[in-house]
Amino acid sequence: MDILTLFMWLGTAAFLIFSFVRDRHRTKRALKMAFGMGKGMLSSILSIIFLIGLVLSILPPEDIAAFISGQPLFLSTVVSAAFGTITLIPAFIAFPLVGILLGSGVGIVSAVAFLTTLTMVGVVTFPLERREFGTKFAMLRNGLSFLFAIIIALIMGVIL
Amino acid sequence: MNIWRAVKKNAFLVLVAAAYIAVFIVRPGMGSASVKDSVYYLKEMIMIMPVIFVLTALLDTWVPKEKIMKYLGREAKAKGIVLSLVLGSISAGPIYAAFPLCVMLHKKGVPVRNLMIILSAWAVIKVPMLLNEMKFLGLQFMAVRWVLTVISILVFSWIAAKIIKDSDLPRHEDQNGLTVNQSACIGCALCEKNYPALFAMRHNKAFVKTVDMPVEKGRLIQTMDECPVQAIAYAAAPSDTRHAG
Repeated sequence: MDILTLFMWLGTAAFLIFSFVRDRHRTKRALKMAFGMGKGMLSSILSIIFLIGLVLSILPPEDIAAFISGQPLFLSTVVSAAFGTITLIPAFIAFPLVGILLGSGVGIVSAVAFLTTLTMVGVVTFPLERREFGTKFAMLRNGLSFLFAIIIALIMGVIL
Repeated sequence: MNIWRAVKKNAFLVLVAAAYIAVFIVRPGMGSASVKDSVYYLKEMIMIMPVIFVLTALLDTWVPKEKIMKYLGREAKAKGIVLSLVLGSISAGPIYAAFPLCVMLHKKGVPVRNLMIILSAWAVIKVPMLLNEMKFLGLQFMAVRWVLTVISILVFSWIAAKIIKDSDLPRHEDQNGLTVNQSACIGCALCEKNYPALFAMRHNKAFVKTVDMPVEKGRLIQTMDECPVQAIAYAAAPSDTRHAG
C-alpha cells in the first residue's frame, strides 16, 4: 500500500468518526450511499479487472516491446500509443518496461507515447466512463488524451 | 429480477466471462495466466475502492454545494484549475477510482473543465507515479514529461469544455437535497410505487419530481429503505430539521 492510499484510509476513518459523533443518522445514510455506489459499480470494475488480465496475457508487454523495437519511428510510435490505450499497467511495471524500451534502442518518442496513453487513455475503462459521464465526455477525453500523448512524445523527442 | 435483465445489466461482465471461457478452452495455460494477472488488479481495487466510496459519500453528506462551488466551481477560475490539478495529483488508485468522486463533484456543480483536469491528473501525474518515473527514467525525463503533460491537460480540458455542455453529462437527479443515484438505480420502480408524488420513472431510471409540498418523512424513509440498491439519498437526515437544498 503506497503512502497516499494509507493517508486516504486514515483520513477517511477520521472523517467517519467525526461524522458519527456529529450525526449518527446522516452517517448511516452516507454509509448506505457508499454501499449503493459500490454495488452499482462492482460489475463494471470486475469486468475491467479481468479484461486487463486477459489482455496482458494475450499481448504481453514484453512482446509488444520486442515488436516495437524493430519498427520505423512513425509506426512504432502509433503502435506503442495504441497499445498503451488498450491496457492499464501499474507504474512499477510500466516504468522499468519503458526503461528497457529506451535501452534497447526504441526511440524516446515511442516510449513516451506508450507511457502517456498507458495511463490516460483507457479502452477497457471506456464503458464505465461513458456510463458515468456520457458518451461525448468519454470520447473527447480519451480522444484528446491520445492526440496529446503523441504531441507530448514528439516534443520530448526534440527536447531530449 | 429475471435472468435476461440481469444479463443485460451486466453485459460487459458477461462478455468478459465468455472471453475467458473461450480462452480456457483454446489455451488453458493462457487462461490461468490471465486469472493470475487479474488478481493483482483485484487487490489494487480492494485496497482503494471501499475507501473511495465512503469518502465520496461523506463528502457528499457534509460538504455543502456552495463550498465546493467556491473552490472548484466556475467562479473559482484559476484557483479552481490549480486545485483540480492538485486534487488529481495527490490521489491514489487507478483512474476508475476517480469516477465516483467526480460524479459527486459534478452533482455539486463542478464544471466539465475541472472534472476533466481531475480525471486526467489522477490518471497520469499522480505523485507516487512521478517518484517511480524519476527512479527508473531520471529526473530530467520525469520533469519534462510532467511539464508537457500539465500543459496538455490544461489545453485539452479547455477544448473539451468548449464542446461539452454540462447538460451532456448524465443527470444525477437532485431536488431539495433528495437524490437518485442514476448509475446505481436498477429501474425497479419500487420508489414510484411507494411514493408516486415524489418519484417517477424516465428511461428506466427513477428521478425526483419537482415538488413544492412538504415531504412526508416517514414515507420517504420507508421508500429509501425499500430501494433494493439504496440509490436514494437525502442530504438532510430525516430527523434533521435544517434544509440542505
